[in-house]
Amino acid sequence: MKVTYYPGCTLKTKARNLEDSAVASMKALGVEMEELTRWNCCGAVHSLADDDLIHQVAPVRDLIRAMEQGSDAVVTLCSMCYNSLARANLIMKNDEVKRKTINDFMDEEKDYHGELEVLHFLNFIRDHVGWDKVREQVKVPLNDMKVAMYYGCTLVRPGNVSIEPIGDTKVMGEFLEALGATPVDFPMATTCCGSYQILGNPEAALDVSAAILESALARGAEAVILSCPLCEYNLAKTQGQLTEKQKLSKEVPVYYFTQLLALALGLDSEACRFDLNDHNCLNFLKSKSLVA
Amino acid sequence: MGYTPELKELIKRVEATRPKRLEMARKGENFPALTLEERAVVLEKFHPDYQKEGRRPVKTGPDKGLVLPEEVAMLLESRSMLRPEHVKLDKVDFDTDVLVIGAGGAGNSAALLAADAGCKVIMVTKLRHGDANTMMAEGGIQAAVHECDSPFYHYMDTIGGGHFTNQPDLVATLSHDAPLSINWLEGLGMMFNKHPDGRLVSRHFGGSSRKRMNSAGDMTGAEIMRVLRDEARSRSDQISTIEFTPAVELLIDEEGKCGGAILYNMETREFFICRAKATIIATGGNGRLHIKGFACTNHYGATMDGVVLCYRAGVGTTCMWSTQYHPTGVSYPEQNVGLLITEKVRGLGAHVLNVEGEQFCFPLEPRDVESAEIIKEALEVGKAVLTPTGRYGVWLDSPMIDMLHGEGTVRRELPAKFIQFERHGIDISKEPMLVYPTLHYQNGGIAIDGDCRTVIPGLYSAGECTGGVHGENRLMGNSLQDVITFGRRAGIVAAQYVNSGVEVKKLTMDHVVKYEKELAEAGVENPVVAPILLPDYSTDEVASRRLLQVQGMLEAE
Amino acid sequence: MSQSESTPKKTQIATGDRAILPKGAKTIPIFIMGKQYEVPETLTIMKAMEFAGFQFLRGAGCRGGICGACPTVYRMPNDYKIHFGLACQTVVEADMYLAQIPFYPANRAVYKLEDIEARPDMINALYPELFRCVACNNCTKACPMNVDVLGYISALKQGDIARAAEISFDCIQCGMCASRCMGEIPQYHIAQLARRMYGKYIMPKAEHLQKRVDEINAGKYDGLLEKLQKMSHEELEKLYKEREREPDLAPNGTWVPQDAQYL
Repeated sequence: MKVTYYPGCTLKTKARNLEDSAVASMKALGVEMEELTRWNCCGAVHSLADDDLIHQVAPVRDLIRAMEQGSDAVVTLCSMCYNSLARANLIMKNDEVKRKTINDFMDEEKDYHGELEVLHFLNFIRDHVGWDKVREQVKVPLNDMKVAMYYGCTLVRPGNVSIEPIGDTKVMGEFLEALGATPVDFPMATTCCGSYQILGNPEAALDVSAAILESALARGAEAVILSCPLCEYNLAKTQGQLTEKQKLSKEVPVYYFTQLLALALGLDSEACRFDLNDHNCLNFLKSKSLVA
Repeated sequence: MGYTPELKELIKRVEATRPKRLEMARKGENFPALTLEERAVVLEKFHPDYQKEGRRPVKTGPDKGLVLPEEVAMLLESRSMLRPEHVKLDKVDFDTDVLVIGAGGAGNSAALLAADAGCKVIMVTKLRHGDANTMMAEGGIQAAVHECDSPFYHYMDTIGGGHFTNQPDLVATLSHDAPLSINWLEGLGMMFNKHPDGRLVSRHFGGSSRKRMNSAGDMTGAEIMRVLRDEARSRSDQISTIEFTPAVELLIDEEGKCGGAILYNMETREFFICRAKATIIATGGNGRLHIKGFACTNHYGATMDGVVLCYRAGVGTTCMWSTQYHPTGVSYPEQNVGLLITEKVRGLGAHVLNVEGEQFCFPLEPRDVESAEIIKEALEVGKAVLTPTGRYGVWLDSPMIDMLHGEGTVRRELPAKFIQFERHGIDISKEPMLVYPTLHYQNGGIAIDGDCRTVIPGLYSAGECTGGVHGENRLMGNSLQDVITFGRRAGIVAAQYVNSGVEVKKLTMDHVVKYEKELAEAGVENPVVAPILLPDYSTDEVASRRLLQVQGMLEAE
Repeated sequence: MSQSESTPKKTQIATGDRAILPKGAKTIPIFIMGKQYEVPETLTIMKAMEFAGFQFLRGAGCRGGICGACPTVYRMPNDYKIHFGLACQTVVEADMYLAQIPFYPANRAVYKLEDIEARPDMINALYPELFRCVACNNCTKACPMNVDVLGYISALKQGDIARAAEISFDCIQCGMCASRCMGEIPQYHIAQLARRMYGKYIMPKAEHLQKRVDEINAGKYDGLLEKLQKMSHEELEKLYKEREREPDLAPNGTWVPQDAQYL
């Protein structure tokens, strides 16, 4: 099986561990993730202000590139990219006035009417690979591993692009169970990580991050998975500061969900890329005898 | 757009004679080549470098009596923009270690190397930083970098190509420094064409015994210029670049040393005194003088300013009589005028034809002979085509190539030319091209030694404005190497001179006064004002309405 | 043209870059900064402006499409599009409405290539505005060289310096991309940095060149070049004729000449 894949800029720089683990895992599962030959930024943060049509131009251009490649669906890994592309797609599909404005503005490109389906990787595995197939291929079951499922905002908000009905998210749990791990739901699973507040208002962002991690720990989680490089920054890269400032009681290993997938499929370190996570991530897996 | 209906009518005559010419070509027959005696006659009469018409002895200065093209001689017999008695030389506006005049390949190389040696540098240019013929060189840059090659062979190829008229110490410097120059450019981040292991991709060229032509795509000069300009900008702490401000007169101190120059801000029309311990002339070539009215491949600013400034101050020239012409420059469409059409087109069998569609010369004569025969057909026989913009042209029958070698040959063998004409609606595999000889390069120039010194202490020169390294004929790829190698040398040597402890004494313009006296004594009436800085392409009608100029009022006075 | 199909001997002929209107040639109206001039058809914008009497100081350079001095913006009647072209490469059309933009301000970051590394975050630190790109594509549409400007800006956001260097190679730094950028990005300066990083740090080094440089600096060829300079014309000509020629098809670095005494 082959699927058109939109990576996003961060996955090519700071979040290689998100992309490498995903691409390798899909290969192991018989899926070729074919990266768009030409693509630009997804539009990222800008699309959050949705009265500003110019910021839809970037994601729509990516969708047109995918259409030009003859695809009918495009898969993304990063939550933010998923959100930007999916929301732009909805506008182009449903909003006649905005669609015309954007198509008129981009008159050097083919017209686009929301022909494509934008899929997040989690839904893609569930619907196109299947949990049974994943379960069959697991070589290193993540038994005895209690993992908190952190969705953050952009996978589930706004409701019209949520990967599942909000308040009834199951896909991360099914995913973890297929790998043999124990999913841990927790109250702040869809609370915002603090997003770009880490730049303008770092103390507030750190407080939120600490609260989310403590909330997961309180439910007995030993680790956290997520799918967004910005969430990863706020929840993982800040942990040194959080413990130093005594906002967090102890460090918690945080992984991209695809890294645990690659680990469970028995793929090597070049696929898992734990070298790009904090030290405690590898140490934790060693303590569980999951890596040598 | 393509050819106009009128030109399309004329192409029918080419098509009418083509079947018979193709038949001849298939039998290996061609228009007969000239004998050596016939060659001498046509060269003598029609090649701009050989014919006496349009050339005359220069009346004044260090090369007095030397026979030069009228356009060159006239500028050497020119007077200054400034009246020396009105210029206050004691009020110094800029004071620097090294003044570099010209900001092309040679100027930037000189500025960078002088800065490396710790000097403060002012680099001035009459156009933008980097506007120079360097930018336009497409083909490549020579350097003996591979194991089968050496500076020996670079020397040999260069001096043989120049008919052994080159100045030996300059050729030695060129071939010695060339690999160092390439290494320097690589270190500055230039994107050379390389094999996967890092080995330079090098090619043969006309007159080469080794593959020595290194390149960066088909815009080697532009890539060199971009990189050098960016590096000079990175060194703005040491190098101040002043654009649209040429030097219009050298300053000589009372001990006879060069002590800087007078600068002219062309936008505000202000003059400035720049005192410098050392001065480097890197002002480029003279294609824009349009010797004998020829179109040229040169940059807008190629007006020989440096040669003029130096000559007036007593620095003579080397090989100044020699100019490189290329027989087949584009004469239509207008936007390609002057651009080169490679010899390969004739090599592949295309005939050269007059307005009747008839052959009038063997298409593969040596370059100078071929040029002369085309000029003869236009000027004497009167059977050239006149283009809609009033240019001469002869047909180069490129469609013969596909007919002789099979469909698709033109596209495959001449891809760049094909695209260049296709952009303007002309398919050269189906329609012939209009060509005429074009001015390409100033072979001669300011006399220097292997260390870029002129006869005036503190005055150095490098690049196309100098003469001797190429003799009377330049090889492809030696011009880019010339600007880098001699630009670097000039920077190094000028910095050594500055660092040895130089004191500029009282500045004078005595050489200007003296030269104008010589002009008067030689009977040169109404000498032109030079350097001319920029060419003027206004029509006669427009010029005749410019009454201020007609009346001879000069703003600079 | 039918009057002048063969050249009359005393006719006035266009010399250099000056155009003379031949008898019967058509002229067309163009609007230079809003003011109408009649110019001969088939001229480039640059030559048409000179025909009209303009003498360039700014706005003309190589006149061969490679220096970036003459970018020109124009519109045509009944067409909302803004068109871009180099004045020296674009042919005038009737009723063209044009202005040159010979200079457009753009900030170049301060750096010394030897002090930095070829890392995407270095570029981001020097040009943080890179991330203001909203992919509107106006840059690409404005490029007179058809460079995929959005493509190289995207490549840099994705951290791919090599790709950005390759895509931007034809850039002539005319500044039209920067003039149209709603993110206020100086694209062509960023591309220059990327290309130099690529050339210096990412492309493989020419090892054979370094070897040759070491040989030259050690004085290996000094004696030989000294001798050559003193040689007579006849000796030189003899050696010149005796040169072996490297075979056309020999890959670089493979051919070994029979005569190795001058290597």
